[in-house]
Amino acid sequence: MGGTNKSTVEERKKTAWADWGYRLLPVLSILLLILSWHLASSNSPDSFPTIQATWERFLLLWEKPIMRVSYPGHILASLKRVCIALFFSWLIGISFGIIIGWNRKMDAFFGTIFAFIRPIPPIAWIPLITIWFGIDEFPKILIVFIGAVMPVVINTHAGLSSVEQLYLNVGTAFNANRFQMLFEVAIPSALPSIFAGIRTSTSTAWMVVLAAEMLGAKSGVGFLVVRGMDGLDMPLVLVAMITIGVIGALLAAVTNFMERRLCPWMSIR
Amino acid sequence: MDEHKVRLEISELSKSYETKEGRFQAVEKIDLKVYDNEFLVLLGPGNCGKTVLLNMIAGLEQPTSGEIRLDGSVIQGSDRRIGMVFQKLALMPWKTVMQNTEIGPKFRGVKKEERRKKAQSYIDLVGLNGFEKAYPAQLSGGMKQRVGIARAYTNDPEILLMDEPFGALDAQTRFVMEQEVQRIWEQEKRTIIFVTNNIEEACFLGDRIVLFSECPARMKEIYVNDLKRPRDVISQEFLKLRAMISDNTDLAL
Repeated sequence: MGGTNKSTVEERKKTAWADWGYRLLPVLSILLLILSWHLASSNSPDSFPTIQATWERFLLLWEKPIMRVSYPGHILASLKRVCIALFFSWLIGISFGIIIGWNRKMDAFFGTIFAFIRPIPPIAWIPLITIWFGIDEFPKILIVFIGAVMPVVINTHAGLSSVEQLYLNVGTAFNANRFQMLFEVAIPSALPSIFAGIRTSTSTAWMVVLAAEMLGAKSGVGFLVVRGMDGLDMPLVLVAMITIGVIGALLAAVTNFMERRLCPWMSIR
Repeated sequence: MDEHKVRLEISELSKSYETKEGRFQAVEKIDLKVYDNEFLVLLGPGNCGKTVLLNMIAGLEQPTSGEIRLDGSVIQGSDRRIGMVFQKLALMPWKTVMQNTEIGPKFRGVKKEERRKKAQSYIDLVGLNGFEKAYPAQLSGGMKQRVGIARAYTNDPEILLMDEPFGALDAQTRFVMEQEVQRIWEQEKRTIIFVTNNIEEACFLGDRIVLFSECPARMKEIYVNDLKRPRDVISQEFLKLRAMISDNTDLAL
């Protein structure tokens, strides 16, 4: 008995160390990144702003708005476009994905068109959409929507069209009607892949909004990048880039949280 | 055994599939009568089409020829009076134990309160009280199959099909579950059709044991097993029956 106790204590010590390790490693990687930034930028501060310069530009941005929009204002402008576009892309993308994933005739009808539109990058729509709708808010949201809706449709379609036969058999054996088969069996079993689509659409939307803003906008984080480039204000470009990274990571965390709340069974392994 | 009333009558039932290599016969000309409240075991080696036969009774597959009559009338598709306990993993992972169990009455539109009460009584019967809110991923193999049994009973079937329900369990759990099924069957009499490839399991549970041949599934012999329950698996009579069936079984390699 004494032997086993000793070994469990040792094992526990080991896992405690491992836990510490796993918490330390991300911190270490960020420190290394900052260090390499420092080393690289100190040689050529003109083309690669130093940490110091970037930090000062960041503080200045809080005091001095750009185009009469404050720093949080620019972030909110981008987030607003992303959120509106995401809302509609989830609503329409999931519904459309379910229809073509569940009904083979619909799939045969829309599938071909979709396969052809899908590879066109959302940015390629910018010229047409600008001609049709101008450079207002709506066209930007529309471009983000086009980018975000694709992964939702693809993943929802994949999830619905590959429901395990066993679950459908259970539905049949318990006399589910068509409606129950779809809402009680097929859609829940497709939720993991629907959520994969939602996760991809969130990151896509965030990338596309920045691209859309870089091509013509008076607010938003993408606009800050262009503004920095035009004014040769590299510290501003870096501040905007870091902001993009941080907000993108936060958006991913929010979707993960949503997924865990809505599909509690998926985190049990 | 005075209740020799026929509930289910299978006549000339065959099933074949068209494959690339040609016609594949899974089930060939089965004639079988199932009596009221009996525990009927379908025993056969490997993948000999017993599951296909069961799926046809459950309405999950269409027979190529022949018919199935329940209480005298031909049934087509899945019939409400026939319930099924599936092989491992047929629980829906997104539903809790309670939500899985109540699925039958829920699909029929029974009010929540009423169906929950019924589901609860069978959850208690299979010994899962306290696990109502657990997800299948949190349960052991034996517990999952208990949910499968509770789910089938909650739908109130008159005929219960069980498709190798304990095939994936370890020997210990399997034996416990066999005793459980017997206890539940004695407490809540139903007609049970139980598919297995395990001779001991067949001898332990069955009133009658239908022995099938290797592919295609044909009926070889029906053994009537009237040993007193619960059966002693090391008694002379039990071992004799077991040896007799074993000698007559095709080997599946």
